[in-house]
Amino acid sequence: MAVKKTNKNNEVHDDSNSRRDFIKKSGLFTALALAPPSLVMASESKWDEKIASYLETVPLSIEINGTKHNLNIEPRTTLLDLLREQLQLTGTKKGCDHGQCGACTVHVNGERILSCLSLATMQQNAQVVTIEGLSKGKKLHPMQEAFIKNDGFQCGYCTPGQIMSGIACIKEGHANNRDEIKEYMSGNICRCGAYHNIVDAIMEVKEGGKLI
Amino acid sequence: MKNFQIIKALTSASAVTNLSKETDAKFIAGGTNLVDLMKKNVTAPDKLVDINTLDLKKIEFLSKKVSIGALAKNTQVAEDKVIKEKFPLLSLALAAGASQQIRNMASVGGNMLQRTRCPYFYNTDMPCNKRVPKSGCGAIGGSNRMHAVFGASESCIAVHPSDMCVALAALDATVFVEGPKGKRKIEFTDFHRLPGNTPEKDNVLDAKELITSVEIPENNFAKNSHYLKIRDRSSYAFALVSVAVGLDLKNNLINDVRLAMGGVAHKPWRLTEAEKFLKGKTVSETTFKQAADLAMKEAKGYGENNFKITLGTNAIIEALTIASSK
Amino acid sequence: MSKTSNINRVDGFAKVTGSATYSAEYKTPGVVYACLVGSTIAKGRIKTIDTKKAEWAPGVLAVITHLNVDKPVGYQKAKDKHNFGQPLQIFKDDSVLYYDQPIALVIADTFERMQYAASLIKADYLKEEHSTELKKAADKEKKVETEKGNDYHRGEQDGYKNAEVVLEAEYTIPTEVHNPMELANIIAKWDGNKPTVFTKSQGVEGTRKSIAGVFGVPIEDVSVNSEYLGGAFGMGLHTWPYEIAALIGSKKLNRPVKLVLHREQMFTNVGFRPYTIQKMGLGATKAGKLTGLTHEAVAMTSSYEDFMEGTVNMSRFIYDCANVSTRYRIVPLDTCTPIWMRGPGEATGSFALESAMDELAYKLNIDPIEFRKLNYAEKDLEQNKPWSSKYLLECYEGGMERIGWKNRKNEPGSVKEGDWLVGYGMGTGTFGCYRNPTSVKAKFLPDGNLVLQCSVNDMGPGTATMMTAIGADITGFPAENVIIEMGKSGLPKGPTQGGSATTSSVGSAVNDACKLLVEKAIKLASENAVFKNIPAADLELAEGMIVSKKNSSKSISLISLLSENKLEELAVENQSKGTEEAKKYSIYSFSVHFVKVLVNPNLGKIRLAHVVSCADIGTVINQKTSAGQMFGGAVGGIGMGLMEALEIDHRFGRPINNNFADYHVPVNADIEKQEVFFVNKKDPISNPMGTKGLGETALVGMAPAIANAVFNATGKRVRDLPITLDKIIETVKV
Repeated sequence: MAVKKTNKNNEVHDDSNSRRDFIKKSGLFTALALAPPSLVMASESKWDEKIASYLETVPLSIEINGTKHNLNIEPRTTLLDLLREQLQLTGTKKGCDHGQCGACTVHVNGERILSCLSLATMQQNAQVVTIEGLSKGKKLHPMQEAFIKNDGFQCGYCTPGQIMSGIACIKEGHANNRDEIKEYMSGNICRCGAYHNIVDAIMEVKEGGKLI
Repeated sequence: MKNFQIIKALTSASAVTNLSKETDAKFIAGGTNLVDLMKKNVTAPDKLVDINTLDLKKIEFLSKKVSIGALAKNTQVAEDKVIKEKFPLLSLALAAGASQQIRNMASVGGNMLQRTRCPYFYNTDMPCNKRVPKSGCGAIGGSNRMHAVFGASESCIAVHPSDMCVALAALDATVFVEGPKGKRKIEFTDFHRLPGNTPEKDNVLDAKELITSVEIPENNFAKNSHYLKIRDRSSYAFALVSVAVGLDLKNNLINDVRLAMGGVAHKPWRLTEAEKFLKGKTVSETTFKQAADLAMKEAKGYGENNFKITLGTNAIIEALTIASSK
Repeated sequence: MSKTSNINRVDGFAKVTGSATYSAEYKTPGVVYACLVGSTIAKGRIKTIDTKKAEWAPGVLAVITHLNVDKPVGYQKAKDKHNFGQPLQIFKDDSVLYYDQPIALVIADTFERMQYAASLIKADYLKEEHSTELKKAADKEKKVETEKGNDYHRGEQDGYKNAEVVLEAEYTIPTEVHNPMELANIIAKWDGNKPTVFTKSQGVEGTRKSIAGVFGVPIEDVSVNSEYLGGAFGMGLHTWPYEIAALIGSKKLNRPVKLVLHREQMFTNVGFRPYTIQKMGLGATKAGKLTGLTHEAVAMTSSYEDFMEGTVNMSRFIYDCANVSTRYRIVPLDTCTPIWMRGPGEATGSFALESAMDELAYKLNIDPIEFRKLNYAEKDLEQNKPWSSKYLLECYEGGMERIGWKNRKNEPGSVKEGDWLVGYGMGTGTFGCYRNPTSVKAKFLPDGNLVLQCSVNDMGPGTATMMTAIGADITGFPAENVIIEMGKSGLPKGPTQGGSATTSSVGSAVNDACKLLVEKAIKLASENAVFKNIPAADLELAEGMIVSKKNSSKSISLISLLSENKLEELAVENQSKGTEEAKKYSIYSFSVHFVKVLVNPNLGKIRLAHVVSCADIGTVINQKTSAGQMFGGAVGGIGMGLMEALEIDHRFGRPINNNFADYHVPVNADIEKQEVFFVNKKDPISNPMGTKGLGETALVGMAPAIANAVFNATGKRVRDLPITLDKIIETVKV
């Protein structure tokens, strides 16, 4: 059903007009060579937008936490918004959306990256691991256990990013001492100020020598 | 963000061809700067040409030089064993920039092309000649703590934000590019430009040209080099001032020297006069002080950034001191 | 030490697995996406607003502005516009009161389409001259017309002026912004006339009341869920215009609407610590006895709300001084209204007071801690009451030992480590202990669990963990058998989380409810055949069993007790509040932050080599979460001291650094070594557990500690925060 929009002068503006306008502007009108009656039908059943949506998307094949997804997405969709808004994987957090806080850190092909600055379409066939992919049911990853034990968080919002970063920090070989960990964890802001305990947690995992 | 088309380039030639057909198309590699600028509506291309499929990721050690592919990631270069051994200055500068996550994404070519962090450039409500030519410069007479003290103009006092580029400027690098008219090379110090009356142009790259690699000649600076970055917090912040130093020392004698600064100009700022002065001199505090004063002689502040003149002088001395005592 | 004094955070599993659900993450079928478009001017009126392009953009469902909004009924009820507690009424009319004030709400079917459509909205304005600079608006200075806004005098007014040694100095703190990692966000929906929100609120009940007021619906009809908050630090103490906007949009479309602010909007639309200028006047005898103290503050507020905080309050009671005067003034500016930010006014005030105390100590050539001890207040001279407990001296001692205070030299710049100048500094903090009426329901379930219910939030301090610990201690249940239900309406009414009052209020209520529940269980058990002839007084609850104290073979498990009585639950709901006895005392937490800095004066680089934060917070309920909170408060204070400042380009009235790249908050590498220390002695008066509150005092006093350490290292006194490197190196004239 079309939503009626009313402006100050109480002119009623029907949504279907805007869709028709959109379809004209988008060039689909000529491209699809629709006869006027079918256009009206298309408009009423919102086919125009559906066709437009289809043409504006690109296929994406991506593996997330071991599960293969075949999707159609808009090129402008970031990996972060794909995870959070389309796949309901909300463990990866949006803190700034501009690569300035690290809350959206995920692993792509084994390396930590910022999902907010990554266009999902550019991760064709990539293997993505998010915080949801670390634990197996109730069995936690050693870094998750260490964060709980060392109280490496308070509000918990930067935590998924810190944990993904912490694991990578060890794998990269940048966890040899507290100072090095501090430097290589500085791309993950924690406004609650749990830095001391985050370093403790990473040191503990590193020294524990468990496979991560 | 406006929706756009995205295509994958299979060869550098096809990438260039693809781009040249479009009025408003851009290459995308790591995307760490471009995606941000698109989110902020600072730029809104109709089409992106994804160049990540191109074979431009290699770091090759050739006789008397190293060639770094434009798509090599910042981390890959910073942590390359031979780069660390032979060109530690580059490695240090790269590691001082951004965060590990961003360095894992960002390419060498993209790092060179990153745009200024001037807040007036980023905020589309503000005047900025770089973003909208002839709209005015907000930073002059405004908030300019981060801004240039060298080579600025009445239309722009923005600085280039890269750390890597400061090292490349110091190390006499050469940029290789490919465009519709063919291939060419550009001296690194000529690659970025001063704002003049056309601050919208950051560099001398033609609109459709693609950076393919950077070459650095071998040098004798490996032992005594240093990258000093001064910023408002200990990590993950852009430079207020940075200094790249490479010294070729024989005992205490300065055989040769390279000096460049970041955070002070629209381009990485090579300190050629100070280099000339230092060459043949003996390492001493006085010599370093004289070199620093010489380097900062032409510096001009714009109010909030006046401190950069003292800071720059002190940073040059400090960087030279650290490099010479390694 | 109790068994629960070091338990892990009870929501730890949810938080480390990403399964903790924050407001905008609730799976909501049919949810659509909204955002706010902000004004590009700081003051004036909207002449025209072009929404056509946005309305016609793909996927757009509605664009709402002041021209087409269905105004909530509460807008008509507003009293005068300067009534505190009346936030900006979004889309009320064409007036623009600050930069980035929301002027349009755009709703579309996907996130990407909504974002794009919002970029198409353009407005023209009738600009008016704006005023955003406190220093240039002093002529608009006014008193806050409430009792709290009154000037305070004890003894001779401005008596410091007559002292043997006088110190006068002016201190400035810039606007700072809370910036929790989680963006302000909401999902709003309507079921007929009943609104439901999942939102970032520090007070479920307060948010219910605000929404009920704006939309003219009964409070009981408003559902609020804020189960997890990704930090807030005070910004969740208001119901903000964005929350109302989401409800307006949802009502119009009759669909759930999700609205998440951009990080940029977090700097302009949800409050901040106000820019404040403070004048201190201190007087002392040559021997170091304070004889007079005057503390004046001028702080910014918005043009439409009078905001004030306790900036000058600490000066009235923290030291033994006969002649004390305080004044507080506000200046309306064209910005959003400030809101308490962690430590609130006390953090601002302590920067001035504790810097001035340090300056005067140098003037007197007395060790700064000795100087404070000479002026130790044996009782609260403001209220003329005894302290309920005060272990401030233990904080001084504990910190001095840990930081290595003995290595400090009074002569600035006289200690070096390599090329680094070494400086030691300290600053005292304090915060009042409050206890708000709180209801808690405690219930034993047949599955052997204890459930504790309260609508209070846990924005990060570990409230749920504290409740678990107290509940487990009282009932003897293992912590893993305690289930907490909190952070949403429909539960027994809890307080707003703020002012360090949560443990005192909610912890006490848990304590009381659990005690009553145990009594109730024992009474019920005493009627059971197994305890024939045994009075209830001889029974006790231990490990889920009710046992006869005299004959342990006689017992019944709670599970059996419930099943034998065919009960689905055994429950007590009880409201707890402060006692009359407590009113006879002055109850405060105390903290002392110690800092050792290494300074390179040529580069202005300040390294935090060692930070020690000590506190007297009464009983420490949970060592782990309390330490975390203290570490975190200290980091917040470090941000305040060294880097945080919202820069405004006053020509435009627009912020310059409203993003995380340019507004610096501390990163991991900023603090090299950090320790915390609690005296951990029970307060006999405050509440049944003897706690006094931690969240605020964890930050108060850190900024002056850094400033004082920097002075000790360099001889450079920085009186305007933050202490950025340009203030350390000498600048040259151009």
